[in-house]
Amino acid sequence: MRFSFTNFARIGKWSQQFGNLPERYIERAMNQVYWKNPKGPQYKPNAVLQRKKFKMGVHRPWTMEFKNENMPKTYSPKIFVEPIREWSYFRGDRVEILVGKDKGKQGIIKTIIQERNWVLVEGLNCKLKNLGKDEKKDFEGVYIQEEQPLLVTTDIALVDPSDLKSTEFEWRFTEAGEKVRVSARSGRIIPIPASVEETIDYKSKSTYREQPKDTTTDVVTEITFEPKLCTFEMDIMEKMGIKEDRVPPKSYWY
Amino acid sequence: MGTANKIFNICKLFGNLTVQGSVKTVPLKPFSIVTRSISTSPPLKDLMEFFDQKDKWGGIEVKTGRAWNKEEMRLKSNTDLHKLWYILLKERNMLLTMEQDAKDQVRLFPNPERLDKVEISMENLEAVVRERNKAYHQLETGETGERPGKVTKNAFGLNYYYKMSEYPLPKHMNKKWQQKYRFFKHDKDNEAFLLKYREKLYLNKKRQKARNFNHVIGLLNRFPNMDIAALKQQYPDVDLEKAKRSRKYGGHFVPK
Repeated sequence: MRFSFTNFARIGKWSQQFGNLPERYIERAMNQVYWKNPKGPQYKPNAVLQRKKFKMGVHRPWTMEFKNENMPKTYSPKIFVEPIREWSYFRGDRVEILVGKDKGKQGIIKTIIQERNWVLVEGLNCKLKNLGKDEKKDFEGVYIQEEQPLLVTTDIALVDPSDLKSTEFEWRFTEAGEKVRVSARSGRIIPIPASVEETIDYKSKSTYREQPKDTTTDVVTEITFEPKLCTFEMDIMEKMGIKEDRVPPKSYWY
Repeated sequence: MGTANKIFNICKLFGNLTVQGSVKTVPLKPFSIVTRSISTSPPLKDLMEFFDQKDKWGGIEVKTGRAWNKEEMRLKSNTDLHKLWYILLKERNMLLTMEQDAKDQVRLFPNPERLDKVEISMENLEAVVRERNKAYHQLETGETGERPGKVTKNAFGLNYYYKMSEYPLPKHMNKKWQQKYRFFKHDKDNEAFLLKYREKLYLNKKRQKARNFNHVIGLLNRFPNMDIAALKQQYPDVDLEKAKRSRKYGGHFVPK
């Protein structure tokens, strides 16, 4: 049974992109249905009680961490997210950090969290996180560096490739009709990095390694369709040598 | 893999018994030239076809590609689609079995999105077959040839799509159908219900509107340099001028 997301926070396109999962699976993994009406004339159809508001943090909706963060009957305060007309920051973009202890440093975008207007920049804006601290066993635990999210609206700026300094930009069209980001200072095109295509399964579509159960490209692209004046069932019956000459009795549709 | 192992062992024991029904043994004449014809059917694995390959049992990750899309399926002949349907069906059965087995053993079912990929492919395949059938019926009869239906009101007076069925008796003679299907009949109770139901819908709508209005004021207060065009795009029904006139707009400070 599937329930649509119509009035929920949708998962942004660029947040999903790296995970390379079907949207339908994300819905299924994320949904928390507490009650749904059984089928029958005495019940109002499609009445569903389910969680509508989710806390959208750094964890992806299909992970266990997300489920733990959104346990049933746990609620988080309302979060205001600034509306953005078009998403312009992609994986692999070089950006300069404008706030915090790494202010002025440049880094590469690693993760996009579109629902919060967040990005994680590789190795920058980090916090130390303690793992496995155990006072009973007198173990101090291990510290790891963890990137903290940065707001795309105020905390980062794209870097102009001509002089490697931060710049404002706008979306424009080239003469060929291609949509590009143009640096406001130098007028140079800021190219969209090749790693936009990258997902957890492959670096680019052309370098994807076929798995044993995958259908190979030549089989998929082979054209075997031939137009014929018959329905699917008639064609299959003909191919399998099934002959049907019984006349159905009179019937009524209502 | 408790269940899988058990079935695997049983299959090994009775392997010959289970296959015998479908294999024809032809007695060979002495000194005849034996040529083996090429078999295109997949190897018969009995009940083990409901399980994944043995090397994938208990794995953490099983990598797969994406689902078939409609454009690719439109290139394929009816026979190919027919075969593909059964490949997908078998794969789905296998995945459901593996999922249940993982559940029984309180283990992780690796890559559960495989199920969705197979189901998306099956939906797309069905859509392409219907497309072809519709084209044929419209060319030959001028109708779609789909199962007829209509939007009607149920006993409560709420709209729903009624899928028609085929019956050997006409409607007025079919007492059973008349008892089973009760459509909208105007009466006092129905009227009272619908009045309240519509009031509820109306209030929900009104509350949603008020919520959006307040949310926009909250956004304006928090992000004074916000892109107004984006705001209008996201909340088209909110009157921004009216929102700025509200007493909630602006911070908690003494105006100059």
